[in-house]
Amino acid sequence: MKTKKIIFGIAFLLFFSLILVSAFQMRPFGEPVLSEMDDYFIANAQQETGTNNVVTSIVFDYRGFDTLGEATVLFTAICAIIALFRGVSK
Amino acid sequence: MSPMSKIVRTITKFVYSIIIIFGFYIIVHGHLTPGGGFQGGAVTASAFALLLVSYGSLASKKFVKKDFLSFLESSGLTLFIALAFLGLGTTFFYNLLANSGGWFGNVSSVGINPGDMNTGGVVPLMNMAVGLEVLSGLGVILLVMAGAMEFTKKKENL
Amino acid sequence: MSSFVEIIHLVNLVIMLAAALLAVLFRKLLPSVIALSVASLLLSLEFYLLHAPDVAIAEAAIGAGLTMAIFIFAIRGTR
Repeated sequence: MKTKKIIFGIAFLLFFSLILVSAFQMRPFGEPVLSEMDDYFIANAQQETGTNNVVTSIVFDYRGFDTLGEATVLFTAICAIIALFRGVSK
Repeated sequence: MSPMSKIVRTITKFVYSIIIIFGFYIIVHGHLTPGGGFQGGAVTASAFALLLVSYGSLASKKFVKKDFLSFLESSGLTLFIALAFLGLGTTFFYNLLANSGGWFGNVSSVGINPGDMNTGGVVPLMNMAVGLEVLSGLGVILLVMAGAMEFTKKKENL
Repeated sequence: MSSFVEIIHLVNLVIMLAAALLAVLFRKLLPSVIALSVASLLLSLEFYLLHAPDVAIAEAAIGAGLTMAIFIFAIRGTR
């Protein structure tokens, strides 16, 4: 019992110190390291897709497969919930 | 579930239509302003949640049925996949309608501009499909959980 | 200007931590759920301050609206 508490304390201290170190090592806001892809999107998204909102053009046009996977995940979750409560709700 | 107090019900009666209209605004203007299909659908489903919590049940609203919402959800996902197959001549998610002059095909001006509703190609249609799916899916979750809660309360009181 | 925004960030994060702590410490269930919803709403305000309005809308709708409704259903069902 006591050894378990000691192990938990050591793990918590290690985790917290790692989080603290990574918070102090963080580079300033808005300055990523590799930005070639971002520059391409900001320069060309408005001409290629015609949308003013660059985030939507990335979500639905450049990275459409991810949105398809997200929609499929939502559909599967709803199917599971309906199957779970099938006899309970009217 | 018993309905909440009269103050909550009156405020809900004034507010829920405005929330639904704001959600549809976010869905339809997804290619011009921040937001999109997922966010607008979640806002509209939160209006359903407000109605369910304040009134206790949606038995008086005939158009909000579980089977109908489930059908809407399946049709939204099918429409999304069909729009993805539309550009199969080039690639799977090719934006066929953008800058073509037809539906949603105007060429948008580059730079900071107020925006034109008729641009974006396939993106606004996909916004509407995903918005329909998310709206009805989260509504189905809320309706099913409210029905299950009624069932457990009835079973405990027996 | 920059220091003003930083002060708003700090106040927002401190209130959010206090709300999250209250969500753990409350003995009754309904005030605890309301405190959790307040923490989620302040998180959406923080997303908005960091220039991400898309994530802010999604967080405000799902975290503060739908999750709280489902928790209220669960509390009403078990009482």
